[in-house]
Amino acid sequence: MVWKRICGADEVAENTVKRFDINGIPILLVNYGAGFRAIPPICPHMEEPLEESGVVVRCVLTCTKHLWAWDLKTLEMRGETEKPLKTYDVKQENGLVLANIEEELTYEFEDADDDDDDFFK
Amino acid sequence: MKITVESKSDTCAFDCGDKETILYAGLRQGLNLPYECATGTCGTCRARVMSGEVEVRWKEAPGGNKLKSEKGDILMCQTRARSDCVLRVPSQVAASDQPRPARRRGIIRDIRKLTSDVAHFDLHLSEPMDFEAGQFVVVETGDLSGGRAYSMVNFDNTATQVALILKRKPGGGFSDWLFARENGEAHVEVFGPLGRAVFRPEESKNIVCIAGGSGIAGMMSILERAARVDYFSHYKGTVFFGVRTLADAFYLEALARYVAVSHGNLEVTIALSHEAATTPTHPDHPTLKLASGMVLEVAARAMEARYDNVIAYVAGPPIMVDAAIRSLIMGGLPASDIRYDKFS
Repeated sequence: MVWKRICGADEVAENTVKRFDINGIPILLVNYGAGFRAIPPICPHMEEPLEESGVVVRCVLTCTKHLWAWDLKTLEMRGETEKPLKTYDVKQENGLVLANIEEELTYEFEDADDDDDDFFK
Repeated sequence: MKITVESKSDTCAFDCGDKETILYAGLRQGLNLPYECATGTCGTCRARVMSGEVEVRWKEAPGGNKLKSEKGDILMCQTRARSDCVLRVPSQVAASDQPRPARRRGIIRDIRKLTSDVAHFDLHLSEPMDFEAGQFVVVETGDLSGGRAYSMVNFDNTATQVALILKRKPGGGFSDWLFARENGEAHVEVFGPLGRAVFRPEESKNIVCIAGGSGIAGMMSILERAARVDYFSHYKGTVFFGVRTLADAFYLEALARYVAVSHGNLEVTIALSHEAATTPTHPDHPTLKLASGMVLEVAARAMEARYDNVIAYVAGPPIMVDAAIRSLIMGGLPASDIRYDKFS
């Protein structure tokens, strides 16, 4: 486990997202009211930047570009969403949000070294 | 040629002629291959060629800007097969439950201007076509390369004639081509019907339509479909039609007609972005409301806390559609109750 400090828990308002750079790894921190999620900053569908396209309402993150959506409590996919979100484990300590970042999480189409077996992941 | 598609759900195969794109070949044979615009701008129909020879028609298609062509990634709507091919598609592919699109010949007739930059035209089809309210067709001419997408304005079963509208854009090849043919006729190739932003009466929900400019086309088809089954005797309809000035609004008689037969349950508001609405209703059509502002702001204000049991349709320029979707979701509407159509 490599717990890294992301920010103070009050730095990301409820139902908003904020992008951070943690030792060169881009992280999107999502405050969905009942907690935080740390995810790669792009939509797994077509690489839309969730910092701009993501909307959080009632614990659901929706990418407004093509309407993929995930329940942030359960990580269940909503509607026509076809890929799960990848997430870094998150915990809160002493008013800080920490994420377990061992290596960068990526989706296919943006991993320079992907091989064809990765295409469906 | 045989195309084999490996998808997340299944592997399926279909035939592909040498003059059609891989996307259109799969769609006309009843597969629900992923797509949105079908004309190269959105990037939804990407796939990876695992084996076989292909020919990409429009290499600079804006929807292809994120593809890894060195890995064999293509847009299926812009690619023809030159041999049997195996493709991978990163989504679920299955049999479609929508009317199968097909290629037909068409004759454009009765082009008439509705405003200074919007024209209505009728497209007479060589074979009748079934379509759903909210769908579009892709029209190609022999003179110009590439297809343009147009939403049907009318609604009919086994239609031999569809009504379409065209917005003239500065330097827009096809619109100049067509505007030059006012009162004439033109022969074209038509592929369709396409599009998943459809309305069916069995939705059994109140409907909200947010349209920017020529985005009203598909909404007219939805209203026609609804009027034919007296949908508004049970459900509410709210239409927001965004234009720059009052002189840019069109189809007002038809909209007023739909309001008149709606048992008071259809409300149409014309939002004027570039001039102030000086009266609360349209001077010539008092059943149509007027408002000042961008259409999505007008819609967001009017719909606040009214999103219960609603299905929303959004059509217009991409920036408007994106902003309207954001506003609908912030208003509490789940993504599954939003259907959209972006024109590029």
